[in-house]
Amino acid sequence: MKINSRKQNDIIIFDIEGEIRRSDISDVTLHQLVKDQLDSGNKKILLNFDKVEFIDSFGVGEILASYISTHNLGGQLKIAKISQKLYLVFQVTMLTKVLDIHDNEEIALTAFLEQ
Amino acid sequence: MTKNRLYRLLSRTVEIKRGEEVISLLLFFYFFLISAPFTIIKSVRNAKYIIEYTAVRLPIAYLLTAIFMGFVVAFHSKIQARIPRAPLIISSLVSFILSSFAFGILFIKDLGWVPLVFFIWANVFIMVLMTQFWILVNDIFNPREAKRLIGFFVSGGILGGIVGGLSAGVLALYIPDYLLYIAGGMLVVNVGVVTAIFRWRSNTAPSSTKAETTEYLKSEKIKKVGFLDCFNTVRQNYYLKLLAAVVTVTWIVSTFIDWQYNKVIEREVTQTFYISFFGYFNSALLVVPFFIQLLMTSNIIKRFGIRLTLLVYPLMLLLCSFGIAASPTILFALGIKGSDKSLSFSLNQSVRELLYIPISPEVKYKAKIFIDMFLNRLGKGIGALLLMIFILVPTAPSLSIRIVSIMSLVFILLWVVLNLKVSKEYANIIKGKLKKSERADRIVDEKLDVDFMKLVLDTIEDKNRSSILYAMDIFDLVKQDKLTPEVRKLIGYKQDEVRVSSVGMLFEGSESGIAPDFEERLDEGILLKEIKEIMSLDVYQEIMSEYVDKVLVEKDGESETAKMELAKALGFSDFRSPMSEKLEELLNDESTEVSRYAIASAAKLQKREYVPALIEKLESPLTRMDARVALEKYGAKITGTLADYLRDVEIDLELRKEVVATLARVGNQEAADFLLWELEEHREDMDSELIDAMDRIRSAYTDIHFRERSVKTKISEIVKECYKNLIDSYGPISKKSQEDRTGLDMPNHMNTRLSDVFKLLGLIYPHEDIMKSYQNIRTGTKDSVAYAVELLDNLLQKGLKEAIFPIIEDLSIRERVERCRILLQNFPFF
Repeated sequence: MKINSRKQNDIIIFDIEGEIRRSDISDVTLHQLVKDQLDSGNKKILLNFDKVEFIDSFGVGEILASYISTHNLGGQLKIAKISQKLYLVFQVTMLTKVLDIHDNEEIALTAFLEQ
Repeated sequence: MTKNRLYRLLSRTVEIKRGEEVISLLLFFYFFLISAPFTIIKSVRNAKYIIEYTAVRLPIAYLLTAIFMGFVVAFHSKIQARIPRAPLIISSLVSFILSSFAFGILFIKDLGWVPLVFFIWANVFIMVLMTQFWILVNDIFNPREAKRLIGFFVSGGILGGIVGGLSAGVLALYIPDYLLYIAGGMLVVNVGVVTAIFRWRSNTAPSSTKAETTEYLKSEKIKKVGFLDCFNTVRQNYYLKLLAAVVTVTWIVSTFIDWQYNKVIEREVTQTFYISFFGYFNSALLVVPFFIQLLMTSNIIKRFGIRLTLLVYPLMLLLCSFGIAASPTILFALGIKGSDKSLSFSLNQSVRELLYIPISPEVKYKAKIFIDMFLNRLGKGIGALLLMIFILVPTAPSLSIRIVSIMSLVFILLWVVLNLKVSKEYANIIKGKLKKSERADRIVDEKLDVDFMKLVLDTIEDKNRSSILYAMDIFDLVKQDKLTPEVRKLIGYKQDEVRVSSVGMLFEGSESGIAPDFEERLDEGILLKEIKEIMSLDVYQEIMSEYVDKVLVEKDGESETAKMELAKALGFSDFRSPMSEKLEELLNDESTEVSRYAIASAAKLQKREYVPALIEKLESPLTRMDARVALEKYGAKITGTLADYLRDVEIDLELRKEVVATLARVGNQEAADFLLWELEEHREDMDSELIDAMDRIRSAYTDIHFRERSVKTKISEIVKECYKNLIDSYGPISKKSQEDRTGLDMPNHMNTRLSDVFKLLGLIYPHEDIMKSYQNIRTGTKDSVAYAVELLDNLLQKGLKEAIFPIIEDLSIRERVERCRILLQNFPFF
């Protein structure tokens, strides 16, 4: 897994690449990176999954932990470009009711602005 | 004599029903007029042969008869297939009349070859006429009718034997050369009787058997009938092979006995008195069987069944063979011959003919002529060959008789074994005549996947209700590998209309039309595992708990859908997940739809905490079926809990009845035991439900055991109640009215009780056989009722038969009420 971050206006965008799985844990997790940004005062986070090939329950846990951390600090976390499979998982687990999921980065950014 | 008077006269000695009196009497005389002339002919046959060739050469005559019989079978089977029954029998009689007159003339000329030819002709005579007689009886009656009436017909034959024997005995002393003319004269009268029988048949409504017979006679298959075809028919059928073996062995033994008897007579009686002696003896030894036959045969068969009755004859001969082996004197010779002829003509003949009744006409006509004509004589031929081999070894006469007796013993033992096998197979043949019967709910369960249907219907509805529910439904369908092209069409899925992109992905695998390979199936499994893992995550619980709490308290219009989504989603979670506790609340939701989804999820998670709520859901017709299915999925682990509800009389009766149905769906030994214990409580308020539940279990799992004593006690109670109902309902009706009403015309509520009796019987006897019988009794024709009762006759123990038959047999109301009254006085009798 490879995670790059960039900033657009006051929104931190994480571009995630590869596979997010339990067996592939690196020193810095997605949640840790999000927390670091939150600690730095950035409270608008966008997770871009455009180049994610696979994500397992551990990966979902990372997303959910990131969501909680952001939410607890009064921030906003949005998700863009998730795969059909992950969307199905989110639907079956009803996470679509809680998470803010968008079809692409542009729509997500617009949503930040609207809020 | 009016039919009424004839009926009253015959019904004193025969268990006869109205409408059967004329045909029974005609068949009695038909048999009488075969047997009487044959007994005369037989006396002439034996006397002439022994005088000309001596008894030592009897085996030669037997052997030649056997060979000639092969030609007779080939010829008879061909003409039987081409000529209708009436002209066939009449032309046979006429040809025997003419030939008997011809032999009368030939005997006066004193030609050396005539006694041998006459011997063979006499055997052809009896074989052909007897076979034709029994084929006609088979055409007319079903097994139950035949069981009642066969004794009467055979007594006609025996009476004919007595009259013929006495005539031969007396007339041989004065007009020995005219005996064959007298026999021929009797056959002339028989032509009139046979004509009357066929007139009666054409005047009565055709039964199903008659229709079947007519169809067979018109069919193309019979065009090729010949000796080989008859032989193959027997060879290819296990039951017929057994019957053939029984008949062959019977005649081998009979030949040994005949030889022993003649050998002793040859030693002890002078030639002058041969015809007279044979005449008197043949007559005398038929007097006893006549009375046995007329008064006892039907009762013996009814009381002991075919199996035991079949054993009486060989076992008697076994005893007598020991006697003659020990002391080969005229006393024992008469004893063994007496036993042979008396039982052969009475019990054995009757019960053997019954064995043919359930065979289909197509097979029966071919088999009967092969077995009764050819094997009959072949058996005698084989016996004769064995005797001839033995005769070549010179021994003292008394020693030879002893040795033949020992040979008889060996064959009699083989005969006993064959009889046991044939009676067992008879029951199987009867079963084959009955229509298959299955519980309607089992058919529904087997043919319909109710869970799948519900899921498809839910999917159609959820498509417009909620994208989340729709996705979950599709996921469920994919998971069960049931998202076929037909289902896709049914749920109205179109790629361009897809509302949720993820659902479209689910379709991709199955749209190809190629069965998903292992990898794809593995993916679905992994997906479900991941979903469960996600739902078990602390972070997930933390995120969702707030949402769940919010949904649970909401009361607005949209909350119902949200609750349904939640209820369904919880079904995907792990049962240890804290969120699954919320399902209890959803189970009790006031919305039926929410409850339904919660019930389905409860069935997946199977937590004990949900069981009371699920049982409560049995009360409402809106959630009953879902709750039943859910509880069934819990299986054995909740049997005890269900039993607690079952036993608690404080609980609403309707709910307890639903618990009974649920226990039936659980369907294990423990559930069966709880249901039977409840039945033993004699509370009676849900007897039928309990019995039906046990029947359902038994129909699905034949290895589940029910305590016989408890079941019988309940049967006894219900039967007694049926008797009382019948007496109360029909007892006061006038006798005339009772006579007019026949069949299973009984009060409606008794039908349920009768059904209960059969369901209970199915718990302790082979379920399929019992249910077949019940189905045929309730909805079948007269013949299928008869076959059903016949099967029960072979299955049930004596006491049960005696108790149940008065309710189910084809009786007039008067007979039924009368029998119930008598039996009620002796209750309980099993």
